[in-house]
Amino acid sequence: MDYTNQIREIATRLFTEDKIDVFVGYRMTGFDDNQVPALIRDPKEVSQLVFTDKSVFNLTNYLKNEHTRNKRVGLVVKGCDSRSLNLLLTESQVKRDKLYVIGIACEGVIDEAGNKMQNCMECVVPDAVVYDEMVGTPKGKQGYQVNADIHELASKELVERRAYFEEIFENCIRCNACRHSCPMCYCAKCCIDQETSTLYNGANTKSSAFHALMTWSLHLAGRCVDCRNCEKACPSHLPLHLLHKWNERVIFENFQEHLAGVQEGDRGAFYKYSMQDPNDFIM
Amino acid sequence: MEAVANKQLVSIEKPEIAAPPDWEPVIIGILCNWCSYAGSDLTGTSRIQYPPNIRIIRVPCSSRVDPWFLIKSLQTTADGVLVSGCHPGDCHYISGNYYARRRFLVTKKLLNFVGFHEDRIQFSWVSAAEGPKFAQVVAKVTGDIKKLGPLHLYKKENFEK
Amino acid sequence: MNVETFVTDKAGLVKFYEAIIANNETYAPVEKFGKFDFKRVLTLAECDPDSPITKTMSAKPLFFPRSAKILKYSADASGTDVKETDEDPLTGKRVILGMKHCDARGLQVLDKVYNWDYIDSDYQKRRQNSVIISSRCDKAETHCFCTSLDYDVENLDAMDVLIVHGLDGKIFIKARTEKGETFLKANPIDPASGIQHSASEEGMKKQYDAFAASFRLKMDYKNVNGKLSKIFDTPEFENVSASCIGCNTCAFICPTCHCFKISDEKIKDTGIRYKSYDSCNNGYFTLMAGGHNPRPVKYRRWRQRAMHKFVYYKERFGENLCVGCGRCAISCPVNISIFEVVNQVATTV
Repeated sequence: MDYTNQIREIATRLFTEDKIDVFVGYRMTGFDDNQVPALIRDPKEVSQLVFTDKSVFNLTNYLKNEHTRNKRVGLVVKGCDSRSLNLLLTESQVKRDKLYVIGIACEGVIDEAGNKMQNCMECVVPDAVVYDEMVGTPKGKQGYQVNADIHELASKELVERRAYFEEIFENCIRCNACRHSCPMCYCAKCCIDQETSTLYNGANTKSSAFHALMTWSLHLAGRCVDCRNCEKACPSHLPLHLLHKWNERVIFENFQEHLAGVQEGDRGAFYKYSMQDPNDFIM
Repeated sequence: MEAVANKQLVSIEKPEIAAPPDWEPVIIGILCNWCSYAGSDLTGTSRIQYPPNIRIIRVPCSSRVDPWFLIKSLQTTADGVLVSGCHPGDCHYISGNYYARRRFLVTKKLLNFVGFHEDRIQFSWVSAAEGPKFAQVVAKVTGDIKKLGPLHLYKKENFEK
Repeated sequence: MNVETFVTDKAGLVKFYEAIIANNETYAPVEKFGKFDFKRVLTLAECDPDSPITKTMSAKPLFFPRSAKILKYSADASGTDVKETDEDPLTGKRVILGMKHCDARGLQVLDKVYNWDYIDSDYQKRRQNSVIISSRCDKAETHCFCTSLDYDVENLDAMDVLIVHGLDGKIFIKARTEKGETFLKANPIDPASGIQHSASEEGMKKQYDAFAASFRLKMDYKNVNGKLSKIFDTPEFENVSASCIGCNTCAFICPTCHCFKISDEKIKDTGIRYKSYDSCNNGYFTLMAGGHNPRPVKYRRWRQRAMHKFVYYKERFGENLCVGCGRCAISCPVNISIFEVVNQVATTV
């Protein structure tokens, strides 16, 4: 997958037609084969843009950034990124007419070791769902698969699951990088940070890590698009996707196969309801 | 479609630390103002006995219950949580409990997934006319949690009951 | 200080490590989820003293914990009772294995802050009671640039015992401080495999030369430091920080970042006051009670971090704050390297 030339062409065109103020894409780091998100304001810098299978980071995160706020933005989105863009649009966080979206028909990105990322192997929507212009050949929607990790964990005993998650919460260093890197976390003041709260959980203890990660994952339930920005950001390499994938699975199986942001105008699972929702777990 | 999340998770819990002989569980009961709270009132005025382990918090609607409340309760005093609201269709705010139902299911499953026994978090629909049902529900929840023993997982360090 | 250098082999080193772990309270890198963090260990099997720097957290939390209890309080009708906590598990006598030399340098730098206008007695106790055993890296990783900075990597005093894996398979063990010397006397190297050698410095020197030659990144430190101090107002900072998402990972894993916040965890009338890490990249880090924020936008916060690392600390304490370990670049989710950025700013402006 290498769409570098197409992206550069489009970006040049957008700048010459004066359609955008800033273009958000990827460029090489300059010292290894990894990529840095690039916020390009000068048409001369367009030649820095690249798009390969190392273009991992979900760029919709930059829409809450002061560099893009109230500006006309050109944005490159893969399938998963476009899902989060979809949700940001329905949640009124960005204005559609200020965006020029370049959708990618994504073939999956690779991690640092060069293997295809796990979420790409299970990807349901490889093609962008919101776009003004599509790059690549769309593959269409894929079938939803069961995440192997989730399957394995769910078949374990309660005590084993508990021990596993206790380890996760114990190794969390409470840097909140997961939250900052998440495109769907845009609150100006996060509930985890409210220092006047009587139950402030800012210290680095197992209990407060439990509180932070659980609250965070429940706020993202039905909204998480599985882009794995959080796992990329986690300095302790915690398998944070387990919480999200589990929620996604519960929601998929119980709430009419809901998947976050797949359809335009679709809201998160908790913003709607159905008479057919399960009721048997309630006395 | 293979059910993964809806498959019953294996939930056999042994008490982590043996409960002291005179231990009584603390259960946080979060009740909706219009049905369950009135229902619990009816239980009282009807002179029906139910276990005194429940500490009741009144909220305007079951959809006022943020999953955060459950997490915070489990982090501090509670050995178990009961959330109760109007029956489906009876919500004072027309659809509040439908929204709440979705959140309850996901919260319960997630807490179970990370290692809480599913009986620690329970939900019920109790209407204002169901005094006896409220007593039964509280008795059942108390019984379940007594079986499970005190909760020590992820407790805050300085909490005192 | 004239101390002996011990020469041993792999088996001797393993025996040395095992003896240390058996006889002392030892902390060493333990792997969890593919990342090594310093934890209390009881056997050599559960830790890896030679863990790769790319996957190892710094040892800073052993001296400046991610959360330290400062005090406990409780209040009732009769008044408020405040007591300092004495349950700090980190102030006992202990040995730290597998600390990298950049971490050790980080401690030297931190010492200056903690001995400055307020003497942090807990930190001092933790420092005095720890023996640091550190092995020199074999080669530089992608983001390492410790040799480019203003300190002498070869003769670093923060580590008490230095272990060098020589190029020919020999392992050199040498005490660098008095504490290290007494430690080596108390925990002798197995005489069967350990031989004393005074002319063996050459092997260590060779290893250092090979190590120093493996660096990809080289910085003209004096030039960068001089330039940066003059270009506070350059708009270039706005450009280089544009792709930063302000996630704070860099500050939390940095071996020298030392900003903290004070927070209370209270339940009813009792509470614990914690001192936990904070980061200058947080939007509310400089937010004042009246609502004024001197660093309201990202590039200013970012500039503060870069300038503090490369200019301000040097101005105040005469040493560079950044130790060149490259951890921030490794952990950055958007692959920003502070080396590249600072170099770029200093060379282009």
